[in-house]
Amino acid sequence: MAAPDLLDPKSATHNTKPRLSFSKKPITLSPQEESEVMATVMKWKTVTAIFLLVVLYLVIGAAVFRSLEQPHESAQRLAILSQKLEFLSQHSCVNQSQLEELVQQVVSAVRSGVNPAGTLTNHSSLWDLSSAFFFAGTVITTIGFGNISPHTEGGRIFCIIYALLGIPLFGFLLAGVGDQLGTIFGKGIARVEKTFVHWAISQTKIRVISTLLFVLFGCLLFVALPAAIFKHIEGWSALESLYFVVITLTTIGFGDFVAGGSDIEYLDYYKPLVWFWILVGLAYFAAILSMIGDWLRVISRRTKEEVGEIRAHAAEWTANVSAEFKETRRRVSVEIYDKFQRAASIKRKLSSELGFSSAPELTLPKRAMSINFSDGWDRNEKEAGLHDLTTPLTRNGGSLMNGLDPERGDVSVTEHFK
Amino acid sequence: MHSVGKSWLLLTGFVVFYVIYLLFGALVFSSIERPVEEQLRRDMERLKEEFLNQSCVNAASLELFLNKVLAANKYGVSVLRNSSGRSNWDLASSMFFANTLVTTVGYGHPTPLSDAGKAFSIVYALMGVPFTMLVLTACVQRVMHPLVLAPVSLLQRSGLKPRPATIVHFLLLVIVVVLCFFVAPAAIFSGVEVSWTFLDGIYFCFISLCTIGLGDFVPAARPGQPYRVLYQIAVMVYLFLGLMMMYLLLRTFHKMADMHGLTTLLQLPRCEDSVLDDDTEPMVDNDPTPPRLKDKAASKPLDPGSQPSYNSINKG
Repeated sequence: MAAPDLLDPKSATHNTKPRLSFSKKPITLSPQEESEVMATVMKWKTVTAIFLLVVLYLVIGAAVFRSLEQPHESAQRLAILSQKLEFLSQHSCVNQSQLEELVQQVVSAVRSGVNPAGTLTNHSSLWDLSSAFFFAGTVITTIGFGNISPHTEGGRIFCIIYALLGIPLFGFLLAGVGDQLGTIFGKGIARVEKTFVHWAISQTKIRVISTLLFVLFGCLLFVALPAAIFKHIEGWSALESLYFVVITLTTIGFGDFVAGGSDIEYLDYYKPLVWFWILVGLAYFAAILSMIGDWLRVISRRTKEEVGEIRAHAAEWTANVSAEFKETRRRVSVEIYDKFQRAASIKRKLSSELGFSSAPELTLPKRAMSINFSDGWDRNEKEAGLHDLTTPLTRNGGSLMNGLDPERGDVSVTEHFK
Repeated sequence: MHSVGKSWLLLTGFVVFYVIYLLFGALVFSSIERPVEEQLRRDMERLKEEFLNQSCVNAASLELFLNKVLAANKYGVSVLRNSSGRSNWDLASSMFFANTLVTTVGYGHPTPLSDAGKAFSIVYALMGVPFTMLVLTACVQRVMHPLVLAPVSLLQRSGLKPRPATIVHFLLLVIVVVLCFFVAPAAIFSGVEVSWTFLDGIYFCFISLCTIGLGDFVPAARPGQPYRVLYQIAVMVYLFLGLMMMYLLLRTFHKMADMHGLTTLLQLPRCEDSVLDDDTEPMVDNDPTPPRLKDKAASKPLDPGSQPSYNSINKG
C-alpha cells in the first residue's frame, strides 16, 4: 500500500493517511515549506504594492475625468438655468408643447447628471475630485452605478481604455485581498478549532461550524454594519440600505441608490471610506459566491454520483436476476428433455417386452406421481422417482398394463411437468 | 464517447435551466413591478393636469413639478406625450432586466420600484450570480477545445514552437473577438438605435461586456422601437455570448501567463485545469493529449515555489 501512494498522484489525493509516515518525505518537504513561507511573505508586500498602484491609478483617472467632463457640465448647467428663467418670465397660461419641451430639457439635463431642481448655487459638481475618484472606482470594480457617466466623446474613449487596464489590475488586487482575508480568517478558525478539539466534536461538524461562523461574522461586518450606517447617514429605509449593499457588492450596481450620491453634506472621509468598504466587501462576497458555486458543484457531483450508483446497482441487480433466470430456464429445459427421453425409452422397452396385451391397472407409487418439479431439482430424487416408476412395472412381471399405462405414466408425468 | 455525450447533455441541461431561471425571474419581476409602474404613470398624468389648470406658474410649484418628474424619470417613467402604452416591465423587458441582474451588468434602467421587488432582487441575485458563473465556466470549458487547444496544436504541427504558438493564437483570438463582438455589433447598434453613433455603439458593447453597465445607453429603450421583443432577446444572446468570449480570453491569457511563468513571477494563483467535474473535461485524461498540454507540463519550471502541491511534483 505504501509504494502506490507515492507513485500514483491520483490515489494520493484521496488518501487520508498522514503522508509523513514515509522516510523519504521529510527530506524533500522542508525546503518546500520554507519557500512556501517565503512566498506568503512576498505576497503581502506584493499586495500592498498593488494597492498603492491602484490608488495612484484611481487618482490619475479622477484627474483626467474631471478635466474632460467638468467644462461640459458647467456649459449644460448654464443652458438649463437660462431655460428656466425664460420659462418663468412667461408666466401666463402654459400650453402643452412648451411644457413638453421643458420636460425634455429637464430629462436630458438629468441624463447629463445635472439636477435642475433646487437652487444651483450650493450645488456641488458631480465631477469634483472625490466624486471622480468614486466614479473611477465604480468603473474598475465593474460595479458601474451610472449616476455619473461620461458624456463627452473623449471621456468615453478614455473610459474604455481606462477600464481595459484597470479591471485586470483590480482583479489582481482583489485576489490578493481575498488571500489575506482568507489567511486572517483561517488563523482565527484554527484557534477556534483548537478549543473545540478539547470538546471532542467530529471534524466535519467543526468545518460546518467554522463556515457558518465565517458567513455570519462577515455578514455582520460587511453587510449589516454598513447598511445601518447608510440608513443613518443617507436616510434610506432598512430594506433600501440592504438592497444597496447587496447590489453593490455583487458588482451589479444599478445606481438608483448610491452612497455619497445625494445632495447631503458629507464628511470628507466618507467617500474614501465607502470605497475601502467596497474593496473588502467585494473580496468577502467573492468568497461567499464561490462557496455557493462550490456547493452547487458538489451537489451536482454528488447527485451525479448517487444517480450513477443507483443505476449501477440497478444494472447489477437486473443482470443478476436475468442471469439466474436464464440459468434456471436452461436447467429446466435440460431436465425436461432428460425426463422425456427416459420416459420414451421406458415406453419403448415396455412396449417391446410386453407386446400389446391388456395389463391390470398399475398404480404408480405415489411418490413417483407426486414428483414435484417446483422444488428440488435433484437428479437423485428424479432418478429415485423414475426408479420407482420402473420397479412396480417389473414387479408385476407379466401383468401387463394396458398399452395406455406407460402412456398414462407418461401423461401423468407430463402433467406434473406442466 | 458515451461520457462526452453525457457531458454535452449536462451542458444543455445547464443552459436550459439557465433560460428557465431567467424566465422565472422575468415573470416574478413583471408581476411585482407592473402595477407599481402603472400607479406611478397615473400619478404623473394627474400631476400634469393639475399643472396645466393653473393660470399662472410660480417658482415653487415648478420646482415641485420638476422634482416629481425627475424622480419618475429615474425609474424610467417618462411624462412625455409619445411614450404611452409601452411598459418597462412586460415579459421581454423583465427578462432583460433579470439577465442584467444575474450577469452583474446592472444597467439601472429600469430598476425595481416596490419593496417586494427590491427584496426579491436581493435573493434572486444571490442565487443567480454564482449559478451564472457556473454556467459560463462550463460553456467556456466546452468551447476551450475547439477554439484554443485545437488551433494551438495546429499551429504547433505547422512548425511553430509552443510558446510563440500560444502568443500568435492569443493575438488572433483577440482580433477575432474584437471584430465579432465589438465592431460588428457596434455597427448594428448604431444602425438600429437612431440616436447612437458608432462610437456610442462600441462604448456600449465594451461597458456591457465588462459587466460595468453604466446605463447611460440601454438598447430597446426608445419608444416606438420596431420588433422590440426580438431585439431585446437578440441583445440578451449577444450579452451571454460576449461574456463567454471575454471569459475565454481571460482564461486563455491566464493559461498563457502560466506557461510563460508570469503568474509564478507575480506570486499569483495558477489557472486551474478542471474547474468543474473531472469527467466533463475529456482532453486531460485521454491518451492523445494535445501537444500544448504536454509541452506545458514539460516547460513548467521545477522551482519549489511554482509547485502548488506535493502531488504536482510527482506529476511533473
